Amino acid sequence: MSVSLEYGKLKRTGFYPAFVGGGLLAAAIPIANTALRQDVFTSVKESPFVVLMDANWQMMAMLNVFMIVIGACIVYHIEYADNALQKMEALPAKGESMFFSKCFVLAAASVFMIALETAALAFCVRCWFSPPEDFAAQLFSSMGFATALSVPAVILMMGISSACRNMWISLGIGVIGIFATVVIPPGSLILSMFPFTLPFQTFSGAGEGEAGELLLGALVEMAVFCAAELVYLRIRRNVQ
Amino acid sequence: MNMIETNKLTKTYGDFKAVAGINLHVRKGSVYGFLGPNGAGKSTTMKMFLGLTKQSKGTFTIDGKSYPQDRQAILREIGSFIEAPAFYGNLSGEENLHIIRKILSLPKSSVDDALELVGLTEHRKRLARKYSLGMKQRLGLAGALIGKPPILILDEPTNGLDPVGIHEIRTLIRNLPKQFDCTVLVSSHLLPEVELMADDVGIINHGRLLFEGSLADLKQDAVQKGYSHEHLEDTFLAMIDEDNQQRGRRR
Repeated sequence: MSVSLEYGKLKRTGFYPAFVGGGLLAAAIPIANTALRQDVFTSVKESPFVVLMDANWQMMAMLNVFMIVIGACIVYHIEYADNALQKMEALPAKGESMFFSKCFVLAAASVFMIALETAALAFCVRCWFSPPEDFAAQLFSSMGFATALSVPAVILMMGISSACRNMWISLGIGVIGIFATVVIPPGSLILSMFPFTLPFQTFSGAGEGEAGELLLGALVEMAVFCAAELVYLRIRRNVQ
Repeated sequence: MNMIETNKLTKTYGDFKAVAGINLHVRKGSVYGFLGPNGAGKSTTMKMFLGLTKQSKGTFTIDGKSYPQDRQAILREIGSFIEAPAFYGNLSGEENLHIIRKILSLPKSSVDDALELVGLTEHRKRLARKYSLGMKQRLGLAGALIGKPPILILDEPTNGLDPVGIHEIRTLIRNLPKQFDCTVLVSSHLLPEVELMADDVGIINHGRLLFEGSLADLKQDAVQKGYSHEHLEDTFLAMIDEDNQQRGRRR
């Protein structure tokens, strides 16, 4: 029920249209890119899915992370703008439950975006390439991988937004996080564990061994961020 | 029987004592007026009852339940309105109340009842951020009254209302114990306001409880101490003034 409450609270905030728009924009990237440069892409001998991911994923992932940052800011802005959070805290509802429900809504919105992108990639392969036999398996494992690696950024951004009464501060931190991904040199496994960098990693680019390590790293980050939020909520309750 | 009882309840922020060891006794089924000038510690005390701020020392019980062990059970029994209306500006008045209704597991009809009670039925579909100050205040009150809770904690509920609105809310609060069998703790810095609706009063200044008792007791106390007692406002002002002077001497 808490999730449906959080879903309802976001009416008229622009949250859902933003994710639909962001998803459509991200989905349009591989379609436009392939339509304009089909000769270049179709001449490459690699798997069509790998070609498409290598050519488009950085841009698509950037949009995904940007939407996570914006979404997290909107989700907590409505709590602080007219002091609604105080009312929620004076009701028999747990702050932890509210936080995790909000994370779920943001993660679901992010999954929706990735689903649109998956459909766009599938469309490109069907339209301009001859799909290999294991295409569906490649597509879903790769997009599942992308989804899993987005979750640490979702939890981290929600944690930052929950702590910042002023939305511009959380937005600023998020934007700095996104820009930090640009200066992080590629190739380092440890540096690619940075929560805002993780969604940029691709299943095909990582290889099976590194993919497992990245997933494990994401899992650890999720646990750490969740634990940190629980501690933060307890401290906030005690020092107010 | 006391619905709310505190034992040396204290709240300090660094060196500053916002609430200094107060012992409140709010009788079941009464309207208790909590009086004090701005910054006296009224809102802080009420926030402690709701778990919005943690006491530094002392304890309190609400309907026999103690904080923090029974926090959830306490909050289930309290309807509250603290400092200023708190709402989701992007939702309509009705949608705001539906959120509270769902958290409290109340029937859908409770939203209509609460809107009717505060006179917002006509404006139920309007976005809360487009409400006037008085309408926001009424929405906050509806959020406190929804489900007819056994305890109501209202912090300056008539702020921002026009004279007609003040009269309506005052009458509503006055009749709540009879209508819904509830106990009301209402704060104000306006004595005439409290005089018209309270059975008992507690006067707080600089975090210390200066007086607690019925309005008749307050008059008697004023006579004994030689304060002006023709108007309760004069009594209140004299009491606060003497306390301020004593504080000045103590320093």
